[in-house]
Amino acid sequence: MTPSTTSRNRIGARIRNVVIPLAFWLGVWQLAALWVGKQLLLPGPLAVAARLWELAGTAVFWRSALMSLGRIFGGFAAGAALGALLAALTCAQPWAGRLIAPAVKVIRATPVASFIVLVLLWAPTGRVPAVVSALMVLPVLWGNVCKGIGQTDPKLLEAAGAYRFSTGKKLRLIYVPCALPYVASGCATALGLAWKAGVAAEVLCQPALAIGKELYRAKITLDTPALFAWTAAVIALSFVLEYALGFLFRRWGKEARV
Amino acid sequence: MISVSDITVCFAEKTVLDGFSLAVPEQGITALSGPSGCGKTTLLRVVAGLQKPQAGTASLPGPVSLLFQEDRLLPWRTVGQHITDVLPKARRGEVGRWLELVELAGEQARYPAQLSGGMGRRLALARCLACGGALLLLDEPFAGVDAQRAGRILARIRALGTPVLLTSHQEAVLSRCDRVLALEGPPLRQKNR
Repeated sequence: MTPSTTSRNRIGARIRNVVIPLAFWLGVWQLAALWVGKQLLLPGPLAVAARLWELAGTAVFWRSALMSLGRIFGGFAAGAALGALLAALTCAQPWAGRLIAPAVKVIRATPVASFIVLVLLWAPTGRVPAVVSALMVLPVLWGNVCKGIGQTDPKLLEAAGAYRFSTGKKLRLIYVPCALPYVASGCATALGLAWKAGVAAEVLCQPALAIGKELYRAKITLDTPALFAWTAAVIALSFVLEYALGFLFRRWGKEARV
Repeated sequence: MISVSDITVCFAEKTVLDGFSLAVPEQGITALSGPSGCGKTTLLRVVAGLQKPQAGTASLPGPVSLLFQEDRLLPWRTVGQHITDVLPKARRGEVGRWLELVELAGEQARYPAQLSGGMGRRLALARCLACGGALLLLDEPFAGVDAQRAGRILARIRALGTPVLLTSHQEAVLSRCDRVLALEGPPLRQKNR
Protein backbone atom coordinates (compact mmCIF):
# COMPACT_ATOMS: atom_id res chain seq x y z
CA MET A 1 0.00 0.00 0.00
CA THR A 2 1.46 3.37 -1.07
CA PRO A 3 1.56 6.39 1.31
CA SER A 4 -0.97 8.25 -0.86
CA THR A 5 -3.43 5.30 -0.65
CA THR A 6 -3.02 5.19 3.14
CA SER A 7 -3.64 8.92 3.37
CA ARG A 8 -6.73 8.63 1.12
CA ASN A 9 -8.06 5.77 3.31
CA ARG A 10 -7.54 7.87 6.44
CA ILE A 11 -9.43 10.82 4.93
CA GLY A 12 -12.24 8.46 3.86
CA ALA A 13 -12.46 7.03 7.38
CA ARG A 14 -12.51 10.54 8.88
CA ILE A 15 -15.41 11.52 6.57
CA ARG A 16 -17.32 8.31 7.43
CA ASN A 17 -16.74 8.51 11.18
CA VAL A 18 -16.86 12.26 11.87
CA VAL A 19 -18.16 14.44 9.03
CA ILE A 20 -21.20 12.39 7.99
CA PRO A 21 -22.58 11.80 11.56
CA LEU A 22 -21.94 15.49 12.41
CA ALA A 23 -23.71 16.67 9.25
CA PHE A 24 -26.61 14.29 9.99
CA TRP A 25 -27.18 15.64 13.51
CA LEU A 26 -26.79 19.27 12.42
CA GLY A 27 -29.42 18.57 9.75
CA VAL A 28 -31.75 17.03 12.36
CA TRP A 29 -31.21 20.06 14.60
CA GLN A 30 -31.93 22.49 11.73
CA LEU A 31 -35.10 20.61 10.77
CA ALA A 32 -36.27 20.56 14.40
CA ALA A 33 -35.62 24.33 14.67
CA LEU A 34 -37.60 24.94 11.49
CA TRP A 35 -40.42 22.76 12.81
CA VAL A 36 -40.54 24.58 16.21
CA GLY A 37 -40.28 27.92 14.39
CA LYS A 38 -39.36 29.97 17.48
CA GLN A 39 -35.74 31.02 18.07
CA LEU A 40 -36.51 31.58 21.76
CA LEU A 41 -37.29 27.88 22.20
CA LEU A 42 -34.89 26.28 19.74
CA PRO A 43 -32.51 28.33 17.60
CA GLY A 44 -31.07 26.56 14.54
CA PRO A 45 -27.37 25.73 14.15
CA LEU A 46 -26.80 28.66 11.79
CA ALA A 47 -28.24 31.17 14.28
CA VAL A 48 -26.11 29.66 17.05
CA ALA A 49 -22.99 29.74 14.87
CA ALA A 50 -23.65 33.39 14.06
CA ARG A 51 -24.07 34.23 17.78
CA LEU A 52 -20.92 32.27 18.65
CA TRP A 53 -18.99 34.17 15.96
CA GLU A 54 -20.29 37.43 17.41
CA LEU A 55 -19.33 36.43 20.97
CA ALA A 56 -15.90 35.23 19.87
CA GLY A 57 -15.15 38.78 18.75
CA THR A 58 -15.45 40.07 22.33
CA ALA A 59 -12.75 40.02 25.01
CA VAL A 60 -15.25 38.82 27.64
CA PHE A 61 -15.79 35.58 25.73
CA TRP A 62 -12.13 34.62 25.73
CA ARG A 63 -11.47 35.82 29.28
CA SER A 64 -14.52 33.94 30.59
CA ALA A 65 -13.56 30.80 28.65
CA LEU A 66 -9.99 30.95 29.93
CA MET A 67 -11.03 31.55 33.54
CA SER A 68 -13.53 28.67 33.41
CA LEU A 69 -10.92 26.44 31.81
CA GLY A 70 -8.42 27.35 34.53
CA ARG A 71 -10.87 26.78 37.37
CA ILE A 72 -12.23 23.50 36.07
CA PHE A 73 -8.90 22.06 34.96
CA GLY A 74 -7.38 23.13 38.28
CA GLY A 75 -10.17 21.33 40.13
CA PHE A 76 -9.82 18.30 37.87
CA ALA A 77 -6.06 18.10 38.43
CA ALA A 78 -6.39 18.52 42.21
CA GLY A 79 -9.20 15.94 42.40
CA ALA A 80 -7.27 13.48 40.24
CA ALA A 81 -4.07 13.87 42.28
CA LEU A 82 -5.90 13.55 45.61
CA GLY A 83 -7.95 10.59 44.34
CA ALA A 84 -4.80 8.79 43.19
CA LEU A 85 -3.03 9.55 46.46
CA LEU A 86 -5.95 8.31 48.56
CA ALA A 87 -6.19 5.19 46.37
CA ALA A 88 -2.52 4.44 46.99
CA LEU A 89 -3.09 4.88 50.72
CA THR A 90 -6.23 2.72 50.59
CA CYS A 91 -4.34 -0.12 48.90
CA ALA A 92 -1.25 0.23 51.09
CA GLN A 93 -2.93 0.36 54.49
CA PRO A 94 -6.10 -1.63 55.30
CA TRP A 95 -6.95 0.79 58.15
CA ALA A 96 -6.75 3.73 55.71
CA GLY A 97 -9.01 1.85 53.29
CA ARG A 98 -11.58 1.31 56.05
CA LEU A 99 -11.57 5.06 56.78
CA ILE A 100 -11.39 6.38 53.21
CA ALA A 101 -13.81 4.05 51.38
CA PRO A 102 -17.02 5.20 53.16
CA ALA A 103 -16.05 8.89 52.85
CA VAL A 104 -15.44 8.53 49.11
CA LYS A 105 -18.73 6.66 48.70
CA VAL A 106 -20.56 9.51 50.48
CA ILE A 107 -18.89 12.07 48.16
CA ARG A 108 -19.92 9.96 45.15
CA ALA A 109 -23.56 9.78 46.27
CA THR A 110 -23.97 13.44 47.32
CA PRO A 111 -25.84 15.58 44.77
CA VAL A 112 -23.71 18.22 43.01
CA ALA A 113 -26.18 20.95 44.01
CA SER A 114 -25.67 20.15 47.72
CA PHE A 115 -21.91 20.47 47.30
CA ILE A 116 -22.24 23.76 45.42
CA VAL A 117 -24.42 25.33 48.11
CA LEU A 118 -22.23 23.98 50.93
CA VAL A 119 -18.92 25.01 49.37
CA LEU A 120 -20.39 28.42 48.60
CA LEU A 121 -20.77 28.89 52.37
CA TRP A 122 -17.17 27.86 53.06
CA ALA A 123 -15.07 29.12 50.14
CA PRO A 124 -14.73 32.33 48.08
CA THR A 125 -17.05 32.39 45.04
CA GLY A 126 -14.21 32.03 42.53
CA ARG A 127 -12.99 28.80 44.11
CA VAL A 128 -16.34 27.01 44.33
CA PRO A 129 -16.29 25.60 40.73
CA ALA A 130 -12.76 24.25 41.22
CA VAL A 131 -13.60 22.65 44.59
CA VAL A 132 -16.84 21.14 43.23
CA SER A 133 -15.04 19.79 40.12
CA ALA A 134 -12.36 18.27 42.36
CA LEU A 135 -15.04 16.59 44.50
CA MET A 136 -16.63 15.06 41.39
CA VAL A 137 -13.30 13.79 40.03
CA LEU A 138 -11.91 12.38 43.29
CA PRO A 139 -14.20 9.31 43.65
CA VAL A 140 -13.77 8.32 39.98
CA LEU A 141 -9.97 8.42 40.13
CA TRP A 142 -9.93 6.79 43.57
CA GLY A 143 -12.01 3.87 42.26
CA ASN A 144 -10.02 3.44 39.07
CA VAL A 145 -6.60 3.68 40.69
CA CYS A 146 -7.67 1.20 43.41
CA LYS A 147 -8.79 -1.16 40.65
CA GLY A 148 -5.51 -0.67 38.74
CA ILE A 149 -3.41 -1.36 41.82
CA GLY A 150 -5.61 -4.38 42.65
CA GLN A 151 -5.01 -5.80 39.16
CA THR A 152 -1.22 -5.62 39.52
CA ASP A 153 0.26 -9.04 38.78
CA PRO A 154 1.29 -10.55 42.16
CA LYS A 155 3.99 -12.57 40.38
CA LEU A 156 5.70 -9.35 39.24
CA LEU A 157 5.51 -8.01 42.78
CA GLU A 158 6.99 -11.25 44.13
CA ALA A 159 9.82 -10.99 41.61
CA ALA A 160 10.40 -7.36 42.62
CA GLY A 161 10.67 -8.49 46.24
CA ALA A 162 13.05 -11.32 45.33
CA TYR A 163 15.28 -8.89 43.39
CA ARG A 164 15.28 -6.52 46.36
CA PHE A 165 13.46 -3.57 44.72
CA SER A 166 12.88 -0.63 47.07
CA THR A 167 9.30 0.58 47.63
CA GLY A 168 9.91 3.57 45.33
CA LYS A 169 11.22 1.31 42.59
CA LYS A 170 8.24 -1.03 42.94
CA LEU A 171 5.94 1.96 42.66
CA ARG A 172 7.70 3.40 39.59
CA LEU A 173 8.40 0.18 37.71
CA ILE A 174 5.37 -1.95 38.57
CA TYR A 175 2.42 -0.20 40.20
CA VAL A 176 2.38 2.95 38.02
CA PRO A 177 2.64 1.15 34.63
CA CYS A 178 -0.01 -1.38 35.75
CA ALA A 179 -2.39 1.36 36.92
CA LEU A 180 -1.82 3.69 33.95
CA PRO A 181 -4.62 2.31 31.69
CA TYR A 182 -7.07 2.60 34.60
CA VAL A 183 -5.91 6.18 35.33
CA ALA A 184 -6.38 7.12 31.66
CA SER A 185 -9.90 5.68 31.56
CA GLY A 186 -10.77 7.34 34.90
CA CYS A 187 -9.49 10.71 33.67
CA ALA A 188 -11.60 10.49 30.50
CA THR A 189 -14.76 9.83 32.57
CA ALA A 190 -13.90 12.36 35.27
CA LEU A 191 -13.13 15.18 32.85
CA GLY A 192 -16.72 15.23 31.55
CA LEU A 193 -18.01 15.24 35.13
CA ALA A 194 -15.65 18.08 36.06
CA TRP A 195 -17.01 20.28 33.26
CA LYS A 196 -20.64 19.50 34.08
CA ALA A 197 -20.22 20.16 37.81
CA GLY A 198 -17.87 23.12 37.36
CA VAL A 199 -20.15 25.00 34.98
CA ALA A 200 -23.19 24.22 37.17
CA ALA A 201 -21.28 25.70 40.12
CA GLU A 202 -20.45 28.81 38.06
CA VAL A 203 -24.14 29.24 37.20
CA LEU A 204 -25.11 29.09 40.87
CA CYS A 205 -22.27 31.08 42.45
CA GLN A 206 -21.62 33.64 39.67
CA PRO A 207 -17.86 34.26 39.84
CA ALA A 208 -16.53 37.40 38.07
CA LEU A 209 -15.55 35.92 34.69
CA ALA A 210 -17.12 32.55 33.95
CA ILE A 211 -18.96 30.65 31.25
CA GLY A 212 -21.58 29.68 33.84
CA LYS A 213 -22.26 33.33 34.59
CA GLU A 214 -22.74 34.03 30.87
CA LEU A 215 -25.09 31.05 30.61
CA TYR A 216 -27.15 32.51 33.45
CA ARG A 217 -27.13 35.94 31.79
CA ALA A 218 -28.32 34.36 28.51
CA LYS A 219 -31.15 32.69 30.44
CA ILE A 220 -32.40 35.86 32.16
CA THR A 221 -32.17 37.95 28.95
CA LEU A 222 -33.94 35.15 27.01
CA ASP A 223 -30.97 35.08 24.58
CA THR A 224 -31.33 31.37 23.63
CA PRO A 225 -28.78 31.49 20.76
CA ALA A 226 -26.20 32.81 23.28
CA LEU A 227 -27.15 29.98 25.67
CA PHE A 228 -26.46 27.48 22.90
CA ALA A 229 -23.29 29.33 21.84
CA TRP A 230 -21.82 29.25 25.37
CA THR A 231 -22.79 25.58 25.66
CA ALA A 232 -20.99 24.91 22.36
CA ALA A 233 -17.94 26.68 23.81
CA VAL A 234 -18.04 24.39 26.88
CA ILE A 235 -18.31 21.31 24.66
CA ALA A 236 -15.41 22.51 22.49
CA LEU A 237 -13.21 23.20 25.53
CA SER A 238 -14.10 19.81 27.02
CA PHE A 239 -13.19 18.07 23.74
CA VAL A 240 -9.89 19.96 23.49
CA LEU A 241 -8.96 19.01 27.06
CA GLU A 242 -10.03 15.39 26.54
CA TYR A 243 -7.99 15.20 23.35
CA ALA A 244 -4.95 16.75 25.05
CA LEU A 245 -5.19 14.30 27.96
CA GLY A 246 -5.74 11.37 25.59
CA PHE A 247 -2.66 12.43 23.61
CA LEU A 248 -0.63 12.70 26.81
CA PHE A 249 -1.68 9.24 28.04
CA ARG A 250 -1.15 7.66 24.61
CA ARG A 251 2.36 9.10 24.50
CA TRP A 252 3.10 8.13 28.06
CA GLY A 253 1.71 4.64 27.46
CA LYS A 254 3.74 4.30 24.27
CA GLU A 255 6.92 5.31 26.07
CA ALA A 256 6.09 2.98 28.93
CA ARG A 257 4.91 0.25 26.49
CA VAL A 258 1.75 -0.24 28.57
CA MET B 1 27.07 -26.76 53.49
CA ILE B 2 23.75 -25.46 52.25
CA SER B 3 21.11 -27.43 54.06
CA VAL B 4 17.41 -27.70 54.60
CA SER B 5 16.16 -29.83 57.46
CA ASP B 6 12.79 -31.47 58.02
CA ILE B 7 10.91 -29.10 55.71
CA THR B 8 7.14 -29.62 55.53
CA VAL B 9 4.95 -27.71 53.08
CA CYS B 10 1.26 -28.45 52.54
CA PHE B 11 -1.13 -26.78 50.11
CA ALA B 12 -4.71 -27.42 51.26
CA GLU B 13 -4.95 -31.22 51.37
CA LYS B 14 -1.75 -31.85 49.40
CA THR B 15 1.58 -32.41 51.16
CA VAL B 16 4.37 -31.36 48.79
CA LEU B 17 7.30 -31.56 51.19
CA ASP B 18 7.02 -33.89 54.19
CA GLY B 19 9.99 -33.55 56.51
CA PHE B 20 12.33 -33.20 53.54
CA SER B 21 16.04 -32.70 54.24
CA LEU B 22 18.85 -31.93 51.86
CA ALA B 23 22.49 -30.88 52.16
CA VAL B 24 24.59 -29.70 49.24
CA PRO B 25 28.21 -28.48 49.22
CA GLU B 26 28.82 -24.72 49.13
CA GLN B 27 30.49 -24.92 45.74
CA GLY B 28 29.76 -26.00 42.19
CA ILE B 29 26.48 -26.71 40.49
CA THR B 30 23.92 -29.03 42.05
CA ALA B 31 20.97 -30.13 39.96
CA LEU B 32 17.61 -31.39 41.14
CA SER B 33 15.90 -33.60 38.64
CA GLY B 34 12.53 -35.26 38.85
CA PRO B 35 9.10 -35.40 37.28
CA SER B 36 6.96 -32.25 36.97
CA GLY B 37 4.95 -31.49 40.09
CA CYS B 38 7.17 -33.51 42.43
CA GLY B 39 8.00 -30.42 44.54
CA LYS B 40 11.30 -29.09 43.13
CA THR B 41 9.98 -25.56 42.61
CA THR B 42 8.42 -25.51 46.07
CA LEU B 43 11.77 -26.54 47.54
CA LEU B 44 13.56 -23.68 45.72
CA ARG B 45 10.89 -21.23 46.90
CA VAL B 46 11.37 -22.40 50.49
CA VAL B 47 15.14 -21.95 50.20
CA ALA B 48 14.59 -18.47 48.68
CA GLY B 49 12.34 -17.53 51.60
CA LEU B 50 9.27 -17.00 49.38
CA GLN B 51 7.40 -20.02 50.71
CA LYS B 52 7.08 -20.31 54.45
CA PRO B 53 7.24 -23.99 55.47
CA GLN B 54 4.90 -25.37 58.12
CA ALA B 55 7.95 -26.94 59.72
CA GLY B 56 11.70 -27.16 59.24
CA THR B 57 14.64 -24.82 58.77
CA ALA B 58 17.04 -23.78 56.02
CA SER B 59 20.68 -22.91 56.56
CA LEU B 60 22.08 -20.67 53.82
CA PRO B 61 25.43 -18.99 53.21
CA GLY B 62 23.79 -15.54 52.73
CA PRO B 63 21.26 -13.77 50.52
CA VAL B 64 20.06 -15.81 47.55
CA SER B 65 18.93 -14.91 44.04
CA LEU B 66 16.10 -16.90 42.48
CA LEU B 67 15.29 -17.41 38.81
CA PHE B 68 11.55 -18.07 38.77
CA GLN B 69 10.00 -20.86 36.76
CA GLU B 70 8.27 -18.16 34.64
CA ASP B 71 10.28 -15.29 33.14
CA ARG B 72 8.35 -12.55 35.03
CA LEU B 73 9.70 -9.81 32.76
CA LEU B 74 8.24 -6.30 32.75
CA PRO B 75 6.69 -5.68 29.30
CA TRP B 76 7.43 -1.92 29.60
CA ARG B 77 11.17 -2.27 30.37
CA THR B 78 13.86 -2.89 27.77
CA VAL B 79 16.37 -5.73 27.95
CA GLY B 80 19.04 -3.33 29.24
CA GLN B 81 16.70 -1.78 31.80
CA HIS B 82 15.84 -5.20 33.24
CA ILE B 83 19.49 -5.57 34.21
CA THR B 84 19.96 -1.97 35.35
CA ASP B 85 16.90 -2.34 37.60
CA VAL B 86 18.55 -5.00 39.77
CA LEU B 87 22.02 -3.45 39.87
CA PRO B 88 23.06 -0.94 42.53
CA LYS B 89 24.12 2.47 41.14
CA ALA B 90 27.82 1.73 41.50
CA ARG B 91 27.51 -1.37 39.25
CA ARG B 92 25.37 0.10 36.45
CA GLY B 93 28.28 -0.32 34.03
CA GLU B 94 27.96 -4.12 34.25
CA VAL B 95 24.85 -4.35 32.06
CA GLY B 96 26.83 -5.39 28.97
CA ARG B 97 28.75 -8.04 30.89
CA TRP B 98 25.60 -9.82 32.12
CA LEU B 99 23.96 -9.67 28.72
CA GLU B 100 27.10 -11.07 27.08
CA LEU B 101 27.09 -13.91 29.59
CA VAL B 102 23.67 -15.05 28.35
CA GLU B 103 24.45 -14.17 24.71
CA LEU B 104 22.05 -11.23 24.50
CA ALA B 105 24.63 -8.54 23.71
CA GLY B 106 23.23 -6.11 21.16
CA GLU B 107 19.62 -6.64 22.29
CA GLN B 108 19.66 -3.96 25.00
CA ALA B 109 17.05 -1.70 23.40
CA ARG B 110 14.49 -4.41 22.68
CA TYR B 111 11.36 -5.08 24.72
CA PRO B 112 10.29 -8.53 26.03
CA ALA B 113 7.51 -8.73 23.40
CA GLN B 114 10.20 -8.49 20.72
CA LEU B 115 12.16 -11.46 22.09
CA SER B 116 11.72 -15.16 21.37
CA GLY B 117 10.83 -17.52 24.24
CA GLY B 118 14.44 -18.64 24.65
CA MET B 119 15.74 -15.06 24.58
CA GLY B 120 13.21 -14.06 27.25
CA ARG B 121 14.41 -16.96 29.39
CA ARG B 122 18.03 -15.87 28.98
CA LEU B 123 17.10 -12.30 29.92
CA ALA B 124 15.37 -13.55 33.09
CA LEU B 125 18.51 -15.59 33.84
CA ALA B 126 20.80 -12.57 33.28
CA ARG B 127 18.65 -10.50 35.66
CA CYS B 128 18.89 -13.18 38.35
CA LEU B 129 22.67 -13.49 37.91
CA ALA B 130 23.14 -9.69 37.96
CA CYS B 131 21.12 -9.44 41.18
CA GLY B 132 23.63 -11.86 42.67
CA GLY B 133 23.89 -13.42 46.12
CA ALA B 134 25.69 -16.11 48.04
CA LEU B 135 23.60 -18.78 46.32
CA LEU B 136 21.91 -18.92 42.92
CA LEU B 137 18.62 -20.80 42.73
CA LEU B 138 17.71 -21.45 39.09
CA ASP B 139 14.36 -23.01 38.29
CA GLU B 140 14.50 -24.48 34.77
CA PRO B 141 17.09 -21.90 33.63
CA PHE B 142 17.40 -23.26 30.10
CA ALA B 143 13.77 -23.98 29.17
CA GLY B 144 13.50 -23.12 25.47
CA VAL B 145 17.28 -22.69 25.10
CA ASP B 146 19.18 -25.02 22.76
CA ALA B 147 21.58 -27.51 24.34
CA GLN B 148 24.81 -26.04 22.92
CA ARG B 149 24.02 -22.53 24.07
CA ALA B 150 22.84 -23.83 27.46
CA GLY B 151 26.21 -25.60 27.84
CA ARG B 152 28.17 -22.43 27.04
CA ILE B 153 26.12 -20.31 29.45
CA LEU B 154 26.37 -22.93 32.21
CA ALA B 155 30.16 -22.92 31.84
CA ARG B 156 30.17 -19.12 32.31
CA ILE B 157 27.90 -19.41 35.36
CA ARG B 158 30.29 -21.96 36.84
CA ALA B 159 33.15 -19.48 36.32
CA LEU B 160 31.35 -16.93 38.52
CA GLY B 161 32.22 -19.17 41.48
CA THR B 162 28.84 -18.79 43.20
CA PRO B 163 27.20 -22.05 44.30
CA VAL B 164 24.20 -22.97 42.17
CA LEU B 165 21.15 -25.11 42.93
CA LEU B 166 19.11 -25.65 39.78
CA THR B 167 16.24 -27.73 38.53
CA SER B 168 16.16 -29.10 35.00
CA HIS B 169 14.63 -31.76 32.81
CA GLN B 170 17.26 -31.37 30.08
CA GLU B 171 19.80 -34.18 29.90
CA ALA B 172 22.33 -31.82 28.26
CA VAL B 173 22.15 -29.53 31.29
CA LEU B 174 22.13 -32.28 33.92
CA SER B 175 25.21 -33.92 32.39
CA ARG B 176 27.19 -30.68 32.88
CA CYS B 177 26.34 -30.30 36.59
CA ASP B 178 28.70 -31.39 39.40
CA ARG B 179 26.04 -33.46 41.08
CA VAL B 180 22.52 -34.49 40.25
CA LEU B 181 19.94 -35.39 42.87
CA ALA B 182 17.19 -37.55 41.43
CA LEU B 183 13.92 -36.75 43.16
CA GLU B 184 10.41 -38.09 43.09
CA GLY B 185 7.11 -37.24 44.71
CA PRO B 186 5.01 -35.59 45.92
CA PRO B 187 5.79 -35.60 48.72
CA LEU B 188 9.33 -34.88 47.56
CA ARG B 189 11.96 -37.51 48.38
CA GLN B 190 15.32 -38.60 47.01
CA LYS B 191 15.16 -41.65 44.80
CA ASN B 192 16.73 -44.88 46.01
CA ARG B 193 16.83 -43.76 49.58
